Amino acid sequence: MTVAHANGDFAIDLRNVEKMYRGKVHALRGVAMRVHRGEIFGLLGPNGAGKSTLVKIMMTVVHPTRAEGTLLGRPVGHKPTLGKVGYLPEHHRFPRYLTGRQALGFYAALAKVPGPHRKARAEALLATVGMTDWANKKVSSYSKGMMQRIGIAQTLMNEPDLVVLDEPTDGVDPVGRRDIRDVLVKLKEQGKTVFLNSHLLSELEMVCDRVAIMVQGQVSMQGTMHELTVDSQRYEITIDGAAPEWVGMDDSLRAEPLANDQTKLVLRSAEPGAVQPLIDRLRLHSPPRTIISIRPVRETLEDLFMRAVTDPLTGRSLAPGAKH
Amino acid sequence: MTQALAIFIDAYRELNARKLFWITLAISFLVVIVYGSIGFDETGVSMMYGLWHVESEFIRAGTPWAKVLYLGIFSEFIVGLWLAWAATILAIISTTSIFPEFVAGGSIDLVLSKPIGRLRLFITKYISGLLFVLMQVTIFCVGVFLCVGLRMGEWRWMVFAAIPLVTVFFSYLYSVNVLVGTWSRSALSALLVTMLFWFSLFGMQLAEGLMTNFKIGAELQIEADEKSLQRINARMAEVSAATQPSEAFKTRTSEQLDIVTQRKDKTHAALATLDRWHGPIGVITDLLPKTDATIGLLTRWFKEDEKYSILAMVRGEMESPPSEEAAVEADDGENFRSGRQRDAEVSRRMEKETDAVSAWWIIGSSLGFEAVVFGLAAWIFCRRDF
Repeated sequence: MTVAHANGDFAIDLRNVEKMYRGKVHALRGVAMRVHRGEIFGLLGPNGAGKSTLVKIMMTVVHPTRAEGTLLGRPVGHKPTLGKVGYLPEHHRFPRYLTGRQALGFYAALAKVPGPHRKARAEALLATVGMTDWANKKVSSYSKGMMQRIGIAQTLMNEPDLVVLDEPTDGVDPVGRRDIRDVLVKLKEQGKTVFLNSHLLSELEMVCDRVAIMVQGQVSMQGTMHELTVDSQRYEITIDGAAPEWVGMDDSLRAEPLANDQTKLVLRSAEPGAVQPLIDRLRLHSPPRTIISIRPVRETLEDLFMRAVTDPLTGRSLAPGAKH
Repeated sequence: MTQALAIFIDAYRELNARKLFWITLAISFLVVIVYGSIGFDETGVSMMYGLWHVESEFIRAGTPWAKVLYLGIFSEFIVGLWLAWAATILAIISTTSIFPEFVAGGSIDLVLSKPIGRLRLFITKYISGLLFVLMQVTIFCVGVFLCVGLRMGEWRWMVFAAIPLVTVFFSYLYSVNVLVGTWSRSALSALLVTMLFWFSLFGMQLAEGLMTNFKIGAELQIEADEKSLQRINARMAEVSAATQPSEAFKTRTSEQLDIVTQRKDKTHAALATLDRWHGPIGVITDLLPKTDATIGLLTRWFKEDEKYSILAMVRGEMESPPSEEAAVEADDGENFRSGRQRDAEVSRRMEKETDAVSAWWIIGSSLGFEAVVFGLAAWIFCRRDF
């Protein structure tokens, strides 16, 4: 996926974001993060990594110990800017005495959406999230999935330039998840920026242009999927028999014995052209090796995530939560 | 403005959804019905639309005491007992969860992420929480206004003074409720602390009132004893000037002087002890909200219109309104100490003392307390990470 954006035109541009909670919990330790306008950006990390704290700082729900940078071009914490932001918190709770329609109207009014626009906007969004039939029912009667749908509609009432969603598919069935993904894609097509915080790596991988992984209060890695996985891209060639003696003489090629007297050759390269000479050499080898399969391999988001949360020295998962 | 209006509409919907709101309103309606059932005719007063009738020379149609009684029932009993006690308890129970629910996780995030400053949000939400009482009292006062107008033939706009008074009275307690609710995020804690605070206030004001009562009683006793001493001495001088007093007369007079002097000294000592306690309690009650006095303003304002309050009726002043010194001069010290007139005079002086405190001081100092508590709650709200 490619995103058209002017260089330096960021929806979110954060630097040196720190948060020290009382009790000396260092939740954020100098976070730097950039989200381009018009892209879908995914934030992931283990529990307690500081993702929600970072989102809450952007939304002025939590006061940062230190924060530099901008949100839609204005300093972080600038209240009027939030009128152009839609936010769905994790485990959000609408007042139980409101109907879905009333809830949309109430939060839209708080976002300073003019009265005449609210009703029409609510109708359109209720249809978009498939909640028109339930619009006049109290939210106390909604299922978790319905709450998420109304929650998504609420974030869009003010036609935001930036949409921040914290676990938007939590509790939503597969059909609902697909619907929400479709909404996100539509938002992107409209030029909106979407900031997504989710544990569902496969879903992030499907829709995100760029991702950042937070571990222990810091951004461990961020970039496009291509940028993050380019070093790990490789070709895996399965052959019959043992590896030829020339395999392993070069760092770019190594062999891993498999069962059934087969061998997996791993060529570290993302270029298809690089694999052709290897195929020729295997064919010409005496005795020639039978090539069973050739497949390009790229790290998944889950692989990236696991790599980010694993201590490279010990090979163990890093302790959950922020550093004390 | 859009945001404030949205918060007020939301508050109305929240109240509308609470059963207690409607229960309170229904009880208020019943109270108005009962109040409206009181009527006056040429021979006396009737209740429950003529079901009971009490004959009275002083309280009957056309007499000023009928108006005093009717307005007094409203200001002393209906406002004092129903609005300022029972309905307030229901209001506190109804509104106690407003702030804990407002600042609960998942709820507060949605609101704080909107383009509205925390302080403004807090102030608006706080004011919207007073809607419960404001709406209840307004509806109630309209009913009472109609009752007074139809029964007395006078449209007394002063009835509507109960709206700001009861709302302000409730706001003193509500500020404590909001502070605890915001700080602890627990509706139960907020409710318990508010009730405890209210009963403590009640206890303090009661203690202060009783001390003032005892103090005035003691002062009256000293005044009466001084007059007795003067009278005994004067009689002694009179007798001595006319003839040689007998030893028996001298002894009896001396004993009388001793008894009265000892009683006066004891009363002085008791008054000094009372003063020692009354001073600090007075300072504390000065700093705290004056709930009773705030509600009492309504009686005072009605009295300013009618000359007498219902308390004057309780003192039996319908037959012969008292002069300032009548009670003291009518009896000697001994009789005064146990007489009915003493209680009436204490009550009258207490009323006078209460009336001497300005409404500005009562409401102003109470609002000062509320401002401090509100400021603390707002500070916690604005500084907190949710």
